[in-house]
Amino acid sequence: MRKQYLLYLLAAALITLLPSCKQTPVYKALIITGQSDHDWKVSSEAVKQILDETGMFSTVIATSPGKGEDMSGFNPDFSGYDLVVLDYEGDTWPEKTTGSLAEYVENGGGIVLYNAKSDPGGASADSITVSERHDFEIRTTVSDHPVTKGLPVRWLHPYDEIIQGIKFAGEDVQVLAAAFSGNPFSGTGRREPVLVARNRGQGRIFATLIGTPDGKENQALHCAGFIVTLQRGAEWAATGSVTQEVPFDFPTAAGAVLWTDFKGMTPEEIFENIGNYDIGKSTKYFTLLQSQIRKAAGDEKKLLKLEKNMVDVLGNDEASDDAKKLILRELSWMGTDYCIPAIKALASDPELSDDVEFALTRLQ
Amino acid sequence: MLQKTSRRIFVRRSAAAAAGVFILPNIVPASALGLGSRRPPSDRIVIGAIGTGSQGMSNMRDFLDLKDAVQFVAVCDVDSRHLAEAKQTVDSANRNNDCRTYGDFREFLEKETLDAVSIALPDHWHGIIYTEAVNKKLHVYGEKPICRTIKDGQTIVAAVKKNNIIWQTGSWQRSQAHFHRGAELVINGRIGKITYIEAGLPDGGGGIGTPPVQEIPPEMNWEMWLGPAPKVPYRGVSHWNWRWILDYSGGQLTDWAGHHIDIANWGAGLEYTGPVEISGTGVYPMEGIYNVPVEYDFLCRYVNGIEMRVANASILEHGMGTTWYGEKGWIHTDRGNVLTASDPKILEEVIGENEIHLYKSDNHWQNFVDSVRTGTQAIAPIEPAYRAISVALLGEMAMTTGQTIYWDPVNETITGNERASRLLSRPYRNPWSLPTV
Repeated sequence: MRKQYLLYLLAAALITLLPSCKQTPVYKALIITGQSDHDWKVSSEAVKQILDETGMFSTVIATSPGKGEDMSGFNPDFSGYDLVVLDYEGDTWPEKTTGSLAEYVENGGGIVLYNAKSDPGGASADSITVSERHDFEIRTTVSDHPVTKGLPVRWLHPYDEIIQGIKFAGEDVQVLAAAFSGNPFSGTGRREPVLVARNRGQGRIFATLIGTPDGKENQALHCAGFIVTLQRGAEWAATGSVTQEVPFDFPTAAGAVLWTDFKGMTPEEIFENIGNYDIGKSTKYFTLLQSQIRKAAGDEKKLLKLEKNMVDVLGNDEASDDAKKLILRELSWMGTDYCIPAIKALASDPELSDDVEFALTRLQ
Repeated sequence: MLQKTSRRIFVRRSAAAAAGVFILPNIVPASALGLGSRRPPSDRIVIGAIGTGSQGMSNMRDFLDLKDAVQFVAVCDVDSRHLAEAKQTVDSANRNNDCRTYGDFREFLEKETLDAVSIALPDHWHGIIYTEAVNKKLHVYGEKPICRTIKDGQTIVAAVKKNNIIWQTGSWQRSQAHFHRGAELVINGRIGKITYIEAGLPDGGGGIGTPPVQEIPPEMNWEMWLGPAPKVPYRGVSHWNWRWILDYSGGQLTDWAGHHIDIANWGAGLEYTGPVEISGTGVYPMEGIYNVPVEYDFLCRYVNGIEMRVANASILEHGMGTTWYGEKGWIHTDRGNVLTASDPKILEEVIGENEIHLYKSDNHWQNFVDSVRTGTQAIAPIEPAYRAISVALLGEMAMTTGQTIYWDPVNETITGNERASRLLSRPYRNPWSLPTV
């Protein structure tokens, strides 16, 4: 009996700890870089960080000989990896190396082509152009593929080039997302592929054609849409399925979302910040809160936890009026008896009295 | 209070035999109704306008384009610039300087003696002003969606029924031949029993972030513009762009429900009922004061087994418009004279004399005027308008709560969901309240 009790305690402790500590990486990833017409040092480091951020991948970078140097000895051992990421565009590899990469994928390996203007599957690079840099809308064209399942149909991607004219060889190629490349930005006037998936042999290839560094702020690399689709594409290429959830701040047609350090917010961070909510500065904490509420639908325990967090903000003298107003609005439909005393306590505040009445009218 | 679908269809079928006489006033020669000859001004319908922004002025011009049909005498708006433009339009049509102007609808309704009123306002004002106008026994041409909440809608429907006035919703697609034809083919079973419908409405657009608080323009009575909605500082969003903020509107979804969902209901015989089960998801902007869904996709199940999917157009195979799917094929209709079918031969089918003939009108504003003159129901009466927007509002609730909503379309209540039930109304800010009927 006593032993069992201890076991419960241990399990409870583990469950509490799990969300805050990262899972041990289980997949080994190799990024190959060293030649490109963009700054491959910046991009390969970013891609490594993005993959490692999932907690699933442990990533190393291999650098090829420089442009014009002897390539004959460049022959990484792919077989020890679950995923090979190519951030490479330059001199041709020795046949042996491309042969072993092909063998790797045929035997079940996963490949991610990052910002690929050339396709080891055989596309010609001659007809490929890039548009001028601009913000553009990406459309999810296949919504039932593991990589794109749950993504909005349309989302904005900031300040990037559209790579134009790539033709991916192979019958089973699926264009998962595309962007219209308009004429004002040296576009083709056509829809160009942005995310592409292909099964090959036992393995899988995922290509992302966005996220080109610009030498300045690198908004395209910090786009949550680029980051999340790369993470999902990498998991799919490595395993054939995707277990990561689409984050609640994935960009939409209404606006792009930038993740400054390549990662999104946790629910805990939302509540840390929501007290400072100021509509003039940012509405994101509140939007994230709403999405948490929707996700918790039907789960009274989770909803009550959120309600308690919200009530804490109402009782916090430091929290802004904007934050309290929006929380009152949300509680007006999802609150329980628990929140009513905290709402009534604000009734004498002239800044909040309208919003208090709004909430109480609905709740009582 | 409201009849079930099956009952309503029965009534329609029996009425159809006598249709020309009783429910289709424009089949009767106009001269028989005294409409043929030129009317003196004293015979014209005396009308006023509340809300003279872009849609209000568009409706006013459509009324003025009719030959000797109406006489505008007064206009009302909270923006004095809009008001002055409206007065100028009316005075120029009347060749005088007599059009009276009001900044407060209460004074307008109190002082004016009118036959009818044309109303085009942001949705959050519809509940109060439609009900007040109807309570004054005015005939109303009212813009869709007729309400921002189910409760507002129920009140307006009750007021129209009690006061027995002529109501025309601005769902003008009903008065276009190809929408009418599509709906009539469907209701007469030309694609077999209907199993599934898609209503494709426009995608939501980009945001504007959060503009700084601005000085209220001198022509604008901001307090009155907000009215029953929560008090917020002026950030430059009022005319037209109110549609992207949930306090005033549900976005493209609620704007267009009164068109493509209305047409869907018309053809499928669902215009006097509602769905029983609604579930779906929306995509909401992350940043900025525009907070209506930019994507939405929900499924409604009706008691007779029909399913209706409502979504932003880029998600759907046929895009914008209404597509009915029956056991024998499909029919799709949209603006720009679009009327297509799984087999083009379906579109050539003749509707027999003893089949259902849907109400026919070829001019939505003329139809209102004729209905007021003859005391007959207009082509877009109040309850179908309420039923069309209800679909969107129930979808909005499913998206807001993340839950399946169970709706009782007869008693008009939500079953077993206290949280969603709270969303049936929006509390009004003091001193405003929904008028009693």
